[in-house]
Amino acid sequence: MKRKPRRKVAVIGAGLSLFMRRALETGKELSYYAASQALETAGVRLKDIQAVVMATAPDAFDGVHMKGDWLLDGAGGVRKPYTRAYVGGGSGVFSIISGWTLVASGLFDLVLVVGEEKMSSCQPHPQGAFLTIFDHTIERPLGPNLLWIFSLEQHRYMSSYGIRNEDIALVSVKNKRNALNHPAAQVAANLSVKDVLASDVVAWPVHRLMVSPVSDGAAAIVLAAEHVARRLSEKPVWVQGVGWSLDTSYWGNRDLAYPRYVERAARMAYGMAGISEPRKEIHIAEPYDPFAYKELHHLEGLLLADRGKAPDDLARGRFDRTGELPTCPSGGLMGVGNPIAAAGVMKVCELFWQLRGEAGARQIPGNPERGVAQAWGDLMQIGTVAVLGVH
Amino acid sequence: MRRQRDNATTRSIAVGGLARVEPRVWRGAMPVQFLYTAGAAGERFFQTLKRKGIFTATHCEECRLTYLPPRLYCERCFADLSDTWRDVTPVGRVYTFTIVHVDREGGPLSSPELVAFVRIDGTDGGLVTRLLEIAPEDVRIDMSVEITLAPPRKRRGTLEDILGFRPARSVAKRPFTRR
Repeated sequence: MKRKPRRKVAVIGAGLSLFMRRALETGKELSYYAASQALETAGVRLKDIQAVVMATAPDAFDGVHMKGDWLLDGAGGVRKPYTRAYVGGGSGVFSIISGWTLVASGLFDLVLVVGEEKMSSCQPHPQGAFLTIFDHTIERPLGPNLLWIFSLEQHRYMSSYGIRNEDIALVSVKNKRNALNHPAAQVAANLSVKDVLASDVVAWPVHRLMVSPVSDGAAAIVLAAEHVARRLSEKPVWVQGVGWSLDTSYWGNRDLAYPRYVERAARMAYGMAGISEPRKEIHIAEPYDPFAYKELHHLEGLLLADRGKAPDDLARGRFDRTGELPTCPSGGLMGVGNPIAAAGVMKVCELFWQLRGEAGARQIPGNPERGVAQAWGDLMQIGTVAVLGVH
Repeated sequence: MRRQRDNATTRSIAVGGLARVEPRVWRGAMPVQFLYTAGAAGERFFQTLKRKGIFTATHCEECRLTYLPPRLYCERCFADLSDTWRDVTPVGRVYTFTIVHVDREGGPLSSPELVAFVRIDGTDGGLVTRLLEIAPEDVRIDMSVEITLAPPRKRRGTLEDILGFRPARSVAKRPFTRR
């Protein structure tokens, strides 16, 4: 980071649609529900919004080419400067980074950020669309899908550090249980490790209940410059730091046991936030958990656990809602659901509610003052990180 | 994925003064199909069309806009329009039209097709549609047209229920005046 931005930016409103398997509502309508709720909680009207950032992942999920533009009216972007933030699965958290740059730069004072995905459109399965993210010459002739890659990565992670599949299944148990208290949740459940490991093997060592579902949904936040945030909000939640980083797009040239791209993104965000000891200074984390092992993998990349030791921390309750560092208190993608870009924005919404003490039955104890949200995506090699806090 | 050897592999072409071999190519596809929903507003629009043979629109009082196709919200002010439904007679005026001579791949059509954008009377919107029962040379911008629907029993609540628009038999009265 060359220079610290001078303008402070706050989140002053958040909104969420239900996450579900198949919505009657179009992606535009889902976006409208989330966006209008975010505006209402922020106490602003659409005409006050100066620019809109729309996060939505591959066009093929909704089955609409250039869907960022198609979603325009549902996101409130008509007749306004409007940008699509699109870094695959990382889009949700990247959209906050995009919105933040628009405000921190001094260009705008009030920006609406919306995330949407309607994956039920894509048949027989969104994996058909994912096929074409693989290199057409050296990978696609094999007919790969994402499950291959995640399973290969999880196995390398397990073998590098001596982790058992039982340790990883515990992430599904925790997150699906946390989601029981989330009103928008799609796949909340009270399960045991045994239940998770009794579910079908989709690609060993990954079992079905260690994979997030296909979902429809939308989420939104309102970002404001400091002088506007202080006027409009009694409890603004400040974006203290943002970071993102991409590793090489070649699988063979990456470290699969440790997500270095997440560490680079985290170090950028922590530097901006003035955090030198993340484990002491961060009170709540929403790491990206599309697969169970990914939460642990990402917590290590976020420097919130020692390498290979996140499973031990999980087993001793450190990441429980009442633990030392609650992780995915929302229920995460494993419990609330995974409408890709919307899921990342949902994580920021959760930090907003938790840091304001408004998370209801999900509220973590101890008046948390700072949290981190992280997402991951692109060609499985981007880390996007945002640090939010009450000061 | 099947790797294909292109027949032209050995054919030389000149690039920037240098002769080079045309590259080998192979094919790929994105193996997906789509299942769409009409949405909350769209479902009501098409069910009304199917059952009653008329359009239904939503209205924003503040922005003085009538949305057709209907929307649940106003795109200008984000007002909730879910209680503002009104019936609309499916008549309108040709806002613009074209006569299509070639298909998507550029091949000739056996007979040219008349495609128009029809503004629906009493609304601020309209539909792209086919023009029926009229020769291309007789179409005029702003002429009045009315809907031709599939017979009630054949309607499925989709866009295909609208066969097209034809010249209005009597000059349609505007249901109400805007602005």
